[in-house]
Amino acid sequence: MLKHYIKIALRNLAQQKVLTVINISGLSIGIACFSLFLLYAVNEFSYDRFHTNANRIYRIVEWWEGEGREAGGSGSVCTPVAPAMKKDFPDVEYAVRMRGTGCLARVNNNVFHTSITFADKDIFHVFSFPLLYGNSQTVLQDPRHIVLTKEKALQLFGTTNVVGKALEIKTDTAFEPFTISGVAENIPANSSVQFNILCNFEHFAQTTMVQESSNNWHMTIGMEAFVQLKPGSRLAGERKRLALFRLKYLPDERPKAKKEKEAVQASFRLQPLRDIHMNPQVEGGNNPRNIWILITIAAAVLIIACINFTTLAIGRSAGRAKEIGLRKVMGSQRKQLMGQFLAESLLLSVFSAVAGLVLAYTLLPLFNQLADRELHFSLTRFPELCWLLTGLTVLAGLLAGSYPALVLSAFKPVEVLKSKIRVGGSNLFTRSLVTLQFVLSIGLIISTIIILQQLSFMRSKNIGFNKENVVMINTGSIDSKKIYPLYKQAIESNTGIVSVTAAEMGLGSNEGQMGRGYRNYKGEVTGVIEYPGDYNFLNAMGMQIIAGRNFNAALASDSTNAIIVNEALVRDVLGTTITDALGKQLVEGKGNGRKPQTIIGVAHDFNFEDLTRAVRPQLFYRPANLNASRFFVRLTAGDPATKLALLNNTWKQLVPDAPFEYSFVDEKFDAFYRSEERWSAIAGWAGGISIFLACLGLFGLAALTAINRTKEIGIRKVMGATVSQVVGLLSKDFIKLIAVALVIASPLAWYCMHNWLQAYAWRINITWWVFALTGFFAILVAVTTISFQAVRAALANPVVALKNE
Amino acid sequence: MIKIRDLEKIYRTEEVETVALNKISIDVKEGEFVAIMGPSGCGKSTLLNILGLLDDPDNGSFLFNNIEVAHFNERKRADLRKHNIGFVFQSFNLIDELTVFENVELPLIYTGVKAGDRKKRVEEVLDKMQIMHRRNHYPQQLSGGQQQRVAVARAVVNNPKLILADEPTGNLDSSNGNEVMTLLTDLNEQGTTIIMVTHSEHDARYSHRIIRMLDGQTVLENIMV
Repeated sequence: MLKHYIKIALRNLAQQKVLTVINISGLSIGIACFSLFLLYAVNEFSYDRFHTNANRIYRIVEWWEGEGREAGGSGSVCTPVAPAMKKDFPDVEYAVRMRGTGCLARVNNNVFHTSITFADKDIFHVFSFPLLYGNSQTVLQDPRHIVLTKEKALQLFGTTNVVGKALEIKTDTAFEPFTISGVAENIPANSSVQFNILCNFEHFAQTTMVQESSNNWHMTIGMEAFVQLKPGSRLAGERKRLALFRLKYLPDERPKAKKEKEAVQASFRLQPLRDIHMNPQVEGGNNPRNIWILITIAAAVLIIACINFTTLAIGRSAGRAKEIGLRKVMGSQRKQLMGQFLAESLLLSVFSAVAGLVLAYTLLPLFNQLADRELHFSLTRFPELCWLLTGLTVLAGLLAGSYPALVLSAFKPVEVLKSKIRVGGSNLFTRSLVTLQFVLSIGLIISTIIILQQLSFMRSKNIGFNKENVVMINTGSIDSKKIYPLYKQAIESNTGIVSVTAAEMGLGSNEGQMGRGYRNYKGEVTGVIEYPGDYNFLNAMGMQIIAGRNFNAALASDSTNAIIVNEALVRDVLGTTITDALGKQLVEGKGNGRKPQTIIGVAHDFNFEDLTRAVRPQLFYRPANLNASRFFVRLTAGDPATKLALLNNTWKQLVPDAPFEYSFVDEKFDAFYRSEERWSAIAGWAGGISIFLACLGLFGLAALTAINRTKEIGIRKVMGATVSQVVGLLSKDFIKLIAVALVIASPLAWYCMHNWLQAYAWRINITWWVFALTGFFAILVAVTTISFQAVRAALANPVVALKNE
Repeated sequence: MIKIRDLEKIYRTEEVETVALNKISIDVKEGEFVAIMGPSGCGKSTLLNILGLLDDPDNGSFLFNNIEVAHFNERKRADLRKHNIGFVFQSFNLIDELTVFENVELPLIYTGVKAGDRKKRVEEVLDKMQIMHRRNHYPQQLSGGQQQRVAVARAVVNNPKLILADEPTGNLDSSNGNEVMTLLTDLNEQGTTIIMVTHSEHDARYSHRIIRMLDGQTVLENIMV
């Protein structure tokens, strides 16, 4: 029987070539799309699961919660916390600190900038990073030992077996020799812990910065810390033990009386390793909601493809009614007929799955670019993909074939043979499905337009300073106290250079921030972002001082206790007016006792972060010993090539052994919106694909409608209908469906996008024309699609149609 | 009214060439009732389609009211057709999705008659065909005879000068068939020219003249007395 089903199914598919192509191409595009999105989701949820002890590894996080603020944490913790936990809790088997930084490396007199990660020697006991060469038990025992990844070894030495070779690294003031003690396999992309060059933390601990922080529980230097608990330990859930541990080392946090209770409570928590990638509550974590949105989009595309199959099968039913009637007369049972229809749809979904997987494989590099990932179709790495894809194929086949199977198999043979049944064309069910297709497509297109609008708004918004034509030079580990004045003097007077300044922090995406707690006007501690820069920083960057004055190099006090604050600080921390703020002092909340700072000026708010955030309180100061990590050079407008050449040549003359690394500040700000860019691209592609699939289905359905209405069209033409009237007749019903889809999709899309926009402190207003434009576009595309069939039907000779009757 | 000369229609497939009309020449005067008879495949339906401007001849001349229409384009043919010609088919060719009223109204919509006038004229003709009580029914709810009466109503609602009937009684029993033939005769007596293709000698006797065809040519003409 199965053989018979397959034989008939194959013949039917071969007979209706156009519909079969529409079905297979539609379903395969749907399956390809879903497979890629599924791969993305599986990869996202697979982060850090490959470590043997993954369920016993935790990251120490600093957690804040309190009235009026959302609870959240940071993986950046103070330097002494990890060793202290290992010492105080017998449950802790290993504790590992990790800190990445940029440095200069030298191999065979070639100097290059690279990233390096310092980690405690037990790192290979905790994490399962296999070594190609070297012994994981001893590989980082010596402070001068380093481990390279296979990729880095190949890049630096052209070979992988580099154990015993030397590498010079400059992390502080001079190059120091290190010996390569091991080579690790490349770190999987789905690992939260990443490194290229791994160095013993003991060496790092000797640098000035770490020495300052080694016993300071109030200072963080961007270091992460991990612990591996012993089997059976419940420490991660024991908040009380962790709270007591914190109070032991931070006794000043102990509330002396209830009324002195801080507005924000800080605590240490242990975050499971497998939770790191997908927990948005801790800084750097991704929101799993985005994955579910992606899966929903993929499911929508797949549903549209399945609907094509269903509507086309129903559309064809008129043509198959006689076959069904005859089969029933010959003794076929209903379940056998259902089996036949399901066999057809399953066969089709298997063909489509094969074509879809080939398509997905081909499109994977493009998708990786779109999603900013390095995904691979690997059934060994993601065994769940195997059953998910098989399940998807069967589900698509069943979804697509079940309605036709149920409806067509229920035909009564006598009625069929007397031609009393008319299912073909468009019944309420097919109309609903077509409407659903367009609801999904229109919804996706509206969403894409709104995301693009928000993106364009964020890029073009005046963020409060002039970010155009500013080159930001990364000084790396040069002696910038010495180099900065020389560099500034050398380039400042050249044409094409507007101004030169420097700061200890960068600006834009991935440039980091530093902050401190200050007492606000209510006596509570409020976080303030600090920006140490040169005297002329605000002027050079085009930031506006709206009250008071700028820093003055001639006044000694301006580099000791003078600060310029932004409007947000005046409002949120001082609770006063701009003019009243001048001369006021800002007092540090707690810590090592920074002198109170006097406000000499108020700057207009500028968005130093991405536009999801409102402007937070910020202050600028000029450190007495400015140790700039970034030089900023404002260029005149126009082609920057010759000006960049000047900057590069001057750099090479002053610091020949350090690479000239620069970026443009406007690009660094644009980089805040990479995720939005990705989302708009993904939603845009999905919207485009879905409307293509919906139109593919519409094309087939219009063809079937034309066939099913051949007699009617013939009669109307005989009665005097013109070609345009016939085209209008065939198109009108579909256009009505699209209009209904627009009415349904618009409020849904508005609701979803309104919610999405709430994440942005600075956002666009959703305008009516987005819906009108999308509706117009959907109708235009649909009319074009239908017209092709409608014109063909309208131009056909009515004699043929009526003769067939 | 109709003057055709040396009209040819040839159907070609990849391998076969079939001559449907072979240099046929016919005249039909205004007010005539002409029956066309002949065996299946003799070309009578092809002739009727060309006379109804539903199909093009390959060669020859076709004068309709002294205007050469043989090579009219689709738009001109449609225009001439909807104002001058009504059709009655063997299988009625009513649109299943439209009611009796809507089916009869259809030609008036395509000739641009206003809604108020349409209603009046449709009701008049339905009354005349004694089918008014079924105006809101769908074709499948009617008997064959009633369906053909609706088809005749639709054919005459525009007051055409010519009615072309293709075996109008072919799907009817004798009683309903006679009713339809009486209707056509009445219309002819009121001045409408009728050309009818039929296999039935009985029906042909209602006409003034019978043209007999064979292999795409006229072989005999009988004048009815």
